[in-house]
Amino acid sequence: MITLCVQKKLDGPNGDMLLDLDIQIQEGQFVTLYGPSGAGKTSTLRILSGLLQAEKGKIEVNGTTWFDSATKIHQQPQQRNIGYVFQDYALFPNMTVEENLLFALPKEARKNEITTLLEMMELVALKERKPQTLSGGQKQRVALARALVQKPTLLLLDEPLSALDMKIRLKLQEYLLKVHKVYKLTTILISHDIGEIYKLSDQVFVLENGKVAKSGTPTQVFLNDKISGKFKFKGEVLNIEKDEVVYLVTVLIQNEMVKVIAQESEIRQLNIGDSVIVASKAFNPVIYKIDA
Amino acid sequence: MNRLRGDIVQIETSGQLSIVSVAVSKALVLKAIVVETPTTAPYLKQGNTIAVLFKETEVIIGAGAVAAISLQNKISCTIAKIDTGTLLSKLVLKTYEETEISAIISSKAVNQLNLTVDSKVQAMIKLNEMMLAEL
Repeated sequence: MITLCVQKKLDGPNGDMLLDLDIQIQEGQFVTLYGPSGAGKTSTLRILSGLLQAEKGKIEVNGTTWFDSATKIHQQPQQRNIGYVFQDYALFPNMTVEENLLFALPKEARKNEITTLLEMMELVALKERKPQTLSGGQKQRVALARALVQKPTLLLLDEPLSALDMKIRLKLQEYLLKVHKVYKLTTILISHDIGEIYKLSDQVFVLENGKVAKSGTPTQVFLNDKISGKFKFKGEVLNIEKDEVVYLVTVLIQNEMVKVIAQESEIRQLNIGDSVIVASKAFNPVIYKIDA
Repeated sequence: MNRLRGDIVQIETSGQLSIVSVAVSKALVLKAIVVETPTTAPYLKQGNTIAVLFKETEVIIGAGAVAAISLQNKISCTIAKIDTGTLLSKLVLKTYEETEISAIISSKAVNQLNLTVDSKVQAMIKLNEMMLAEL
């Protein structure tokens, strides 16, 4: 269990802002912080990592106190067992992929940890390469592998995928889910991509003006109309076409395109590019096995 | 999507499934089967007002005397408007209580059943085509 109960004055976009959080996260959860720029998301991760010190409050991670203003405990970032990945990869340019990972390896740890990570992140073929010869997606895989070298209990991800194109992004999301499960991490992600949040997170905290405005599962937070349909996906409207007395709406869900018949009354407030929920009942879809 | 408001009057549960009866008016009770129970979905409570949703394309239209039929949801209506396309037609229907619902059926069926404005019809929807939405 992670308890984050902190207060910190920040320089918000509209002047002074008080970051005032009282959040509890179960061990092993994948949690996302969502909200407008300047709401305090990055500051929250920096306070958790120890890069930024709160004025008041307490941070407890699985029974260990990382910060307590009352007893003046403030563990240094390196004492907190944390992996941190940013949007820019922050790799050492003069080192190879493997050397970048070795640099993060604690002295007492065994080198075969690195081999396992290189294999899991599919970086073996790239291990002798320098960062500048890698693509954005490859660099971010290296950064993620490096964050895991020290076997963190808490993985902090500050918009790690936002600079990547859609295809690479989807692939990297798979890696994130995989390492989250294999390393039994508690992961806190900052993301603006609702599709990504749906795919990855167990829980979402919506931050506004330094406070939690809303929290819950992605469906509880983002789905206004609470529909009983069990066959429910979030997608983006690609096209709307009139056909006879109905409309045909093309929706991109993950990387698949689906088509939905809709009525004029439903189309009226719908535009291309809108995020939508496509819902049906569990009774309607047919299921069949595809040959591998 | 057709959307009618009503009060839950009965919930029958077995395993993970429930059949929920919703009184849209005194004379009209609609039923929906959902993969939820009052435990998994707290809004499933007798007396709660919720919305019943069903797609226009899932409405079956019967004219004249409708024989014994398995459909659980039968709504007596009058046709208020017909929009005819080559293959499909849209019917706007009014129930006795003036509630409006829409149906999309084949244009051929409109001709075969001699449907015109003011025709009296039965709108029928299968139990498993009804969705519920919390208000």
